[in-house]
Amino acid sequence: MTATPTHSKARTPARIPGSRAAAPSGAARPGGRATSHTASAPQDRPRRGLRGLAAGRAFLLPMGIAVALLIPLATAFPGAGSWPAALAVDLSGPLGRAGDWIIDHRDSHPLFLYLFGHVSNAVVVAVRAVYVLLLAAGWTGVTALAALVAWRLAGIRLAATCAAAFAACGLLGMWVPTMQTLALMVVAVAASVVLGALLGLAAGLSPRADRVLRPVLDTMQILPAFAYLLPMVLVFGIGVPAAVLATVVYAAPPMARLTALGLREADAGVMEAAASLGATGRQRLLTARLPLARRQLLLGVNQAIMTGLSMAVIASVIGAGGLGDRVYQALASVDVGAALAAGIPIVLLAVVLDRTADAAGRRLGADPVPLGEQHLLRRVFSGWYGRLLTLLAAVAVAVVGRMAGTSVWPESWTVSLADPVNSAVAWMTDHLYSGVPVVGGTADWAARFTGWILDPLRSGLQAAPWWLLLLTACALALLAGTWRTALTAVLALGAVGVLGVWETSLDTLSQVLAAVAVTLVLGFAIAVGAARSARAERMLRPVLDICQTLPQFVYLIPVVALFGVGRAPAAAAAIVYALPAVVRITVQGLREVDPTVVESARSLGATRAQLLRQVQLPLARPALLLAVNQAVVLVLAVVIIGGLVGGGALGYDVVLGLAQGDLATGLVAGAAIVCLGLLLDRVTQPAKEA
Amino acid sequence: MNTTPAAAPAPADSDAPSVFSVNGLWKVFGPDKAAAKVPGSADADLSAAELRERTGCTAAVRDVTFDVRKGEVFVVMGLSGSGKSTLVRCLTRLIEPTAGSLAIDGEDVLAMDATRLRDLRRHRAAMVFQHFGLLPHRTVLDNVAYGLEIQGVGRGDRRDKAAELVAKVGLDGLEHRRPGQLSGGQQQRVGLARALAADPEVLLFDEPFSALDPLIRREMQEEVARLHHEEGRTMVFITHDLAEALRLGDRIALMRDGRIVQLGTPEEIVGSPADDYVRDFVRDVPREQVLTVRTAMRAATAGEAEQGPALAPATTVVDAIQAVAVSGGPARVVDGGRCLGVVDDAGLLAVVAGLPAPTGRGVAA
Amino acid sequence: MRDTDHRRTLRRPRGAAVLAAATGLAVLTGCGAADMTRQASPYAAAEGAKTVTLSVQSWVGAQANTAVASYLLEHELGYRVDTVQVDEVPAWDALSQGRVDAILEDWGHPEQEKRYVEGKKTITRGGDLGVTGHIGWFVPTYFAEAHPDVTDWKNLDKYADQLRTPESRGKGQLMDGSPSYVTNDKALVKNLGLDYEVVFAGSEAAQITQIKQFAKERKPFLTYWYEPQWLFERVPMTEVKLPEYTEGCADDPEKVACAYPHTPLQKYLNARFARSGGEAAEFLKKFHWTKAQQNEVSLMIAEEKLSPQQAAKKWVERNENVWKPWLT
Repeated sequence: MTATPTHSKARTPARIPGSRAAAPSGAARPGGRATSHTASAPQDRPRRGLRGLAAGRAFLLPMGIAVALLIPLATAFPGAGSWPAALAVDLSGPLGRAGDWIIDHRDSHPLFLYLFGHVSNAVVVAVRAVYVLLLAAGWTGVTALAALVAWRLAGIRLAATCAAAFAACGLLGMWVPTMQTLALMVVAVAASVVLGALLGLAAGLSPRADRVLRPVLDTMQILPAFAYLLPMVLVFGIGVPAAVLATVVYAAPPMARLTALGLREADAGVMEAAASLGATGRQRLLTARLPLARRQLLLGVNQAIMTGLSMAVIASVIGAGGLGDRVYQALASVDVGAALAAGIPIVLLAVVLDRTADAAGRRLGADPVPLGEQHLLRRVFSGWYGRLLTLLAAVAVAVVGRMAGTSVWPESWTVSLADPVNSAVAWMTDHLYSGVPVVGGTADWAARFTGWILDPLRSGLQAAPWWLLLLTACALALLAGTWRTALTAVLALGAVGVLGVWETSLDTLSQVLAAVAVTLVLGFAIAVGAARSARAERMLRPVLDICQTLPQFVYLIPVVALFGVGRAPAAAAAIVYALPAVVRITVQGLREVDPTVVESARSLGATRAQLLRQVQLPLARPALLLAVNQAVVLVLAVVIIGGLVGGGALGYDVVLGLAQGDLATGLVAGAAIVCLGLLLDRVTQPAKEA
Repeated sequence: MNTTPAAAPAPADSDAPSVFSVNGLWKVFGPDKAAAKVPGSADADLSAAELRERTGCTAAVRDVTFDVRKGEVFVVMGLSGSGKSTLVRCLTRLIEPTAGSLAIDGEDVLAMDATRLRDLRRHRAAMVFQHFGLLPHRTVLDNVAYGLEIQGVGRGDRRDKAAELVAKVGLDGLEHRRPGQLSGGQQQRVGLARALAADPEVLLFDEPFSALDPLIRREMQEEVARLHHEEGRTMVFITHDLAEALRLGDRIALMRDGRIVQLGTPEEIVGSPADDYVRDFVRDVPREQVLTVRTAMRAATAGEAEQGPALAPATTVVDAIQAVAVSGGPARVVDGGRCLGVVDDAGLLAVVAGLPAPTGRGVAA
Repeated sequence: MRDTDHRRTLRRPRGAAVLAAATGLAVLTGCGAADMTRQASPYAAAEGAKTVTLSVQSWVGAQANTAVASYLLEHELGYRVDTVQVDEVPAWDALSQGRVDAILEDWGHPEQEKRYVEGKKTITRGGDLGVTGHIGWFVPTYFAEAHPDVTDWKNLDKYADQLRTPESRGKGQLMDGSPSYVTNDKALVKNLGLDYEVVFAGSEAAQITQIKQFAKERKPFLTYWYEPQWLFERVPMTEVKLPEYTEGCADDPEKVACAYPHTPLQKYLNARFARSGGEAAEFLKKFHWTKAQQNEVSLMIAEEKLSPQQAAKKWVERNENVWKPWLT
């Protein structure tokens, strides 16, 4: 895969979210993989003709090998559907013992006392320091600082947004949880940025490190957040350290990928110029390569923030506290309104952090306005003393706030959102559940979806001979990529069988496939509509932003109310979560279709439908493929969380593992999810290594 | 293959000391071990395609030998893929040569350790690049000062020096812009100023103007000519543009497939191409603008040495035509008071028509 | 040259990183051992000394306990209370580690009790909560009234058809809740030979939502449920009689074929906290109330949508005679 700088510059997709990052602003946001996709896209078409020729050979060889390997195995273990027991490994014994060992030695073994203990303490101290600082600043100080920083970076509008966002957090009565989440986020994001930057530095500078790191990062990128929690809990116990570390592990890969990408893509001409001037390696890195990669670095920070935030919410299951915990507690008492009241500050935090990071990125790229032409106030606040002045101003406001005696948001200034929301949800479920004439209620839809789509799909998959599924995976992966892709796919699916969760995984797979299908149909339909009219897109954008940033937990209760308990609500939640990304990428792809081609088609008298079918969709093919890939990854993530609403299968196993501290079930399910993720990602990732 | 300096006297003294002395230089791209074997082996003379087929390597520079003399503008010209850009990078080991020897002021460059080499790049040879290679996040001033910064010059000093050079290349008032806000020509002026800032002994230009519009290119060429005229700095200039090579070069090395096909003054290249390739290359050159009266003159017959307008030997044919037309008779070629020969209508027309010169240069030699 | 430079570029940062890591490690380990099990939450109050961390389980009854206990600790004893929402088994682990000081309502975890209370001695018993818990299978009362014989497990198969859902694979559906709850249902269904499929709702929230939805439609359902639980006030349910519980009948989880016992709910304290927790530990040991009292608070939280704090405040104001003795 060659992602040349010219390509990615020319085609920087405006809003393709990293595989899982929520993306509330108009940020340029090529997740590492997204960039490479689009970058390779232009080379994709001319090669297709060639591939036809090459495909014959490329296809036959690995297929032949696969068949040669599988046929004897298949005859040895003829059982019609399920994975042969003889090929499975039962890990529950050793894993159970490992779990027990950790619990028994956690307070005595040197590994814990001298390594994990210190890590854990460091996290607690750091989070505590930030938290105390935030509380000391009081709501006045924090709001003022955020607004001032935003104003310096982007101007009065962003400043107003920031101030309003923090005020809203206070108004909703969520000031303290917001600060807790913010403190956790600051520490986790800082750590993941440092970790990611170091890894990215290694991968960006050394091809060997890159070869080692890339598959690891690729894999981590597609892992559902839920799969990270159990190991962390086991080592660090319930609480903030485990949550912070899970967040770090989850948020560092995008940073690492983008750092490596930025460093590797640094303009070769500039690097050569630096070398020709006699710069030492260190000088070249510090004065040229790193500054050249700064946009990608900032994008990485931005991604780390967004992924970190989504993880910080999910980590409430293991005691992260803060806003996520409020959402989680509210859900426990089926209080959608309260959950939303805690969910909104999360969205607001995401918006504020994202826009600010984005503005910082844009400022770096932009050319400075000469000092003389700036507004007087701005002139005062520019330069390093301006930075100091900003800080001083914020401190002054904080002190004033404290003297006025309001360090925590005053309780009388809060509004309750819960009641109206709850009654709205109640009304919705009352009227939609079964009472709708003609089309039937949501309950009927759910029943039909389950009975007509999910069940046949599941029983079909589970009844199909295991070797046939392996062959299918191999064939699909070959169609999408190279023999290497195929090998990964087959190994991943095989590993699922070996782990002894074949049936369960196929159950999950059937849910993913069904949900992806619905997501794509809906997503493409919406996108085609939105790409036609700018107004439709403008109206759609905030909705998509919110859908994507709102913690997945918030969806769960309304979907249960609408669709009952089972796999249907899990699929529904997954569709709601994945739809925005699909719509966004597709709209982007359709928009980016070369206007001259469209114009020439129109001049030939093509109708709208012809234009769409014959020009826009084929030309947007890379974007559509990317949309499919993203849909698969996002849907998988939510289908797993769907274990909380009766989705069963692997999601239930993960939830069970977490709830019962059952390492054997949880880890095996986690590993199976990894394998499924790999399989699905590889099969839908076009020509990755070509 | 004519790789030794031509006999004809160049504007710069032919006995001036060499700055760069290149001998039998090779650069073969490919797996290290395989590449090292190519020079001097039986494969060395294979065509590019055959070589790749047989060894998996590409020879970008093949057995190149030349000297760059102090104070001259040495142009390396060739089409893309001829190896000229690789060659210039070998001079400061931005690309490591595979074989051969290379010296600057008599000091072996290939034997330099990292420190000496950095010193060479910092103080003795500076390069100007086709795509400028400017740091987009720095102002013009800081870009110009970048080389000095790398050398460890203090902030104040380097800014003073940079400001001086910014003025010298005509960018006053733009000091605080970013490269992105400048036109191509302006950006290359920044590149030039950055190279000059270190006050290097040699300036290396790698197709510096090929990314610019024709008008701007002309302007920049004049700028380089002016700088050379004012400072007499040695320059190695890579280009694929024949007109540019002829305009700027004291001597030109014409490269093809990694080898130097011909090395000589512009007049030699145009006047007596070494082979068909070169001949083809220079076919469309307006010969009268390049060739001098040396080519067109014949020995003076009796009496002719005394009369008619006097022309310097470096006068181009086109100027001579004018003089001859005005005077109506042959003109004398005079060098230091001595008459070398005369040019007349027939001789000048033969040059324009591309015919072999009537009596030829035997006189001058 | 490019290549060689590259290598050099790398070496230096690597050297620096190794050095930094080594120094960092030295500094860290210089401080000696760090015991994670003696760590407070970073969000604990700054004043530090008088803080109690309570575990809140996800069901509302447990929220009621915690709310009242927190209210009294904060307003009568001057402590600051943090609450952490954790599932039951991890809560035991957290309690053992000292991340949590007390669990106020435990439904019986013999394995954990053996490990932590008897083995590691990091947890001590805190006495009865006063409420007796009971797990069982329930059908809605409107259904039981229409079909009185459904309340005997032997007749359940007759109704399997009516209790079928898309998720129950053609059998009747027995809905279970969160995977963290104590349940033998899968074994029970198998050992009693019932034509039922256990469907896990995955969380109590999902289960309650589903029950409410069924009740609104007046559809029949069969669910794993427990009392005390506020939902009974909203959706009256009748228990299905299972074979009677006898001592030891549930010891082998594979062979269980009897009802769930009535469990006096227990409190557990972190051992260190129990020794040195002062007034707070004493108070939590004495905390003891009835099912009706707990339900009163639960209902305020779940149905009137009062915040736990407000509900606790209301209850405390009305029931001074109940809680006064806990403080002495």
